[in-house]
Amino acid sequence: MGVPRPVGGEVAAPFYRPVGDEVEVFAAAARRGLPVLLKGPTGCGKTRFVEAMAHRLGRGLVTVAGHEDLTSADLVGRFLLRGGETVWVDGPLTRAVREGAICYLDEVVEARQDTTVVIHPLTDHRRQLPVDRLGVVLDAEPGFQLVISYNPGYQSVLKDLKDSTRQRFVAIELGFPPPEVETDVVAHEAGVDRDTAAALVAVGQAIRNLAASPLREVASTRALILAGSMAGEGLSLRRAVQSAVVDILSDDPDLAVALSELVDAVLPR
Amino acid sequence: MTAAPGGETSGSGRFRLLATALAGRPLGVEDAPAADRPYTDGVNIFVGPGIGADDQRRQVVVQAALLGAGSLEPSVAKALRGRPRTARRYLAVEGRRVLADVASRLGGLSLTVGGPVISATVEESLALALGRGRLPDPPPWFGEIRPGRLLGPAGGPPASAPTPSDLRAAARLTPEAAADEDDEPGEESKLLKLFQNPLAKPNALSDFVARLLGLSRSPAPGSGSSGGDLATAAARRVRAVGAHARPLPVPLRFTGDDPPDRGGIGGALYPEWDVHKTRYRPQWCRVVEIPMGPALDVSTGTAERDQVLHRRLARLGLGPKVLRRRPDGDDLDVDALIDLAVDLRAGHSPPGHVYLERRNLARNLGVLVLLDASGSATDLDPAGRSVHEHQRRAALTLATTLEELGDRVAVYGFRSRGRSNVEMLAVKPFGHRFGAGGRAHLHRLTPAGYTRLGAAVRHAGELLKTQAGTPNRLLVVLSDGFPFDDGYESRYAEADARKALEEVRGDGVACLCLSIGASTPTESLDRVFGSASHASAAVLSDLSPRMDELFLAALKELAAPNPATRRVGVPRSGRLRS
Repeated sequence: MGVPRPVGGEVAAPFYRPVGDEVEVFAAAARRGLPVLLKGPTGCGKTRFVEAMAHRLGRGLVTVAGHEDLTSADLVGRFLLRGGETVWVDGPLTRAVREGAICYLDEVVEARQDTTVVIHPLTDHRRQLPVDRLGVVLDAEPGFQLVISYNPGYQSVLKDLKDSTRQRFVAIELGFPPPEVETDVVAHEAGVDRDTAAALVAVGQAIRNLAASPLREVASTRALILAGSMAGEGLSLRRAVQSAVVDILSDDPDLAVALSELVDAVLPR
Repeated sequence: MTAAPGGETSGSGRFRLLATALAGRPLGVEDAPAADRPYTDGVNIFVGPGIGADDQRRQVVVQAALLGAGSLEPSVAKALRGRPRTARRYLAVEGRRVLADVASRLGGLSLTVGGPVISATVEESLALALGRGRLPDPPPWFGEIRPGRLLGPAGGPPASAPTPSDLRAAARLTPEAAADEDDEPGEESKLLKLFQNPLAKPNALSDFVARLLGLSRSPAPGSGSSGGDLATAAARRVRAVGAHARPLPVPLRFTGDDPPDRGGIGGALYPEWDVHKTRYRPQWCRVVEIPMGPALDVSTGTAERDQVLHRRLARLGLGPKVLRRRPDGDDLDVDALIDLAVDLRAGHSPPGHVYLERRNLARNLGVLVLLDASGSATDLDPAGRSVHEHQRRAALTLATTLEELGDRVAVYGFRSRGRSNVEMLAVKPFGHRFGAGGRAHLHRLTPAGYTRLGAAVRHAGELLKTQAGTPNRLLVVLSDGFPFDDGYESRYAEADARKALEEVRGDGVACLCLSIGASTPTESLDRVFGSASHASAAVLSDLSPRMDELFLAALKELAAPNPATRRVGVPRSGRLRS
């Protein structure tokens, strides 16, 4: 469960480099309090985007990571035992509803589907959260906005958003940024020079552009930043990519060797 | 790099991703026969075996770069065909051009091209190669261009799928050498045998000659029972079938007036879907259940343990189950809370396990494994195991695993000899233990006959509905996806099988079709299994890691959303999660 970010200017703005018009779309949705569905591959910057937008809009941010045993009580809250009595403790969703913060449900598809339906009354005109166990219905504060992320094609066949859930959202599709932008991002985040960042981005591009790739996943921007950070700590670029990209993407030794060959050809001598 | 490029060769396959990246299309890298120079056929790059990794790498790079730069397009290959000298000259010019281009893009490749780049485009290179000017020779590691291989069948997908007539023509060209072994000496002459080739059936000439010579095949000794003249289409045994392989439409002939009757045992009649007339043929197929006798040798048939499968299937939860006295959960367990309060007052300090937790653990699952026991499953894979053997092992492992997990399991084999004789071999009916006897039966199941998939599926669905006794029912079909029987082929058979699966699913039985060890193309499986969940793999263990997903996906589509139970917190025992 995330911690609400303090509202105001004390926190430095999270680094986010817009690629398209996603900032405008998000801001428009935020003004109307519309829920947003972020789509995009893993490690392309969905979470960072939400953080940047929360900062820009001056709202708190509550992040919940979805997992397959996430229950509605994990979102709404539950009675806990304290001493001899039971005490109600708000869940992250309830907290965001009360505080008027942005609630970001990361990879919400992973959660059980009966969990996702608790967000339904929050995502339409009602903007309410019924808390059955307390017997109350909470009206969302004006700043409240629900943001969920979704990674199409990444989940198993089972995990798909229900249409009745999907159609409540405004979708923003995020992809990996174009090479120039990604180079900036990697250089900034990993704290390496632009040449090193450009070499890492070239590796990422080569892996992403493989036709009929045997890999389940491609090298994400986050993986490239990790590799850059390792290189920034004095590791050779090849070793850094090997540990942060190649060995992460495949457990199959043959595939890892084939991938190293590709990386080796792409990275400058 | 830990992989230490430049060290000893560790198989040329390590360059396949590099080749794929350079060529911009999927490429394999294989060892060329010794003494061959490296070349590509557009699908694979063949490099010299047993040389250092650095040498192999540059061989791969030049060939892949040629493919990636469009230097080996069919138009170019056609211009080079039959002109080895021109091809060499072209390779010298174009190879250096594409390598210079690649070296500028990929900093990690230290390639010494060994000569100037004198052209800028493919066309320019081709013009230079076709001209008479002196050109430097390509270095040996450039290998060679083989236009014939590039333009050959491996160079790309064929323009269109072969028609049955193409297949017949090809089958007629097949040498008859293998037929000699089957010939019983002195029974009939080689000449007559030639004319009797069932594959040549559509040939009017052979029909005519056969009639002229009064050729009529006498019934084989002992026929007159089941079987009859079961001429099949397989003329040549191959290790793997091509993308468009399918059984040839060959009429089956029975020597008697009617296929033999299995009087006394009875049987169930099922309709069959006629796709041509878009209607059912009522009471068309008779399905006979054949109980297996006592096992003679129970020492055979040990099940392979598949831990991954066991773990995965154990995770399969189909309904919520309320767990009491948990350390964490959605609700308070009032009983536990009262006990806790009492204990605290009495001076104990028990752990605070006072919550109710709902987890998807309830199963209530009945599974029928329907195993293809027909003769079409006898093709061998490279390891020498037949498709049938793969499927049999898969059935054994699946059934054993599911039974260990407490599900109700049945295993049936099926095969057919015409529409009135579809046999369902009851290897393990519901309610029986899957003991050594059942395993021995399964082990001794020999493939025979044909595949009338639709009728078998309908009967299996009926068995699940009447005998499984569980709210969740799953039919697992293990088949190579080639439905084929007398009057039951290609589109008709595929449509009927698909229809049967739809019917069964419509009756609330989930269907999962697994094709293990068969090389049936995916499109064909799509046609047969339709929208039912299906998956194929070389061995069962390839599917094991996602078997829970496959099971759940098959079962999930039956879980109709029920608004009344949608409210959070309402236990829905025995229902799938929606």
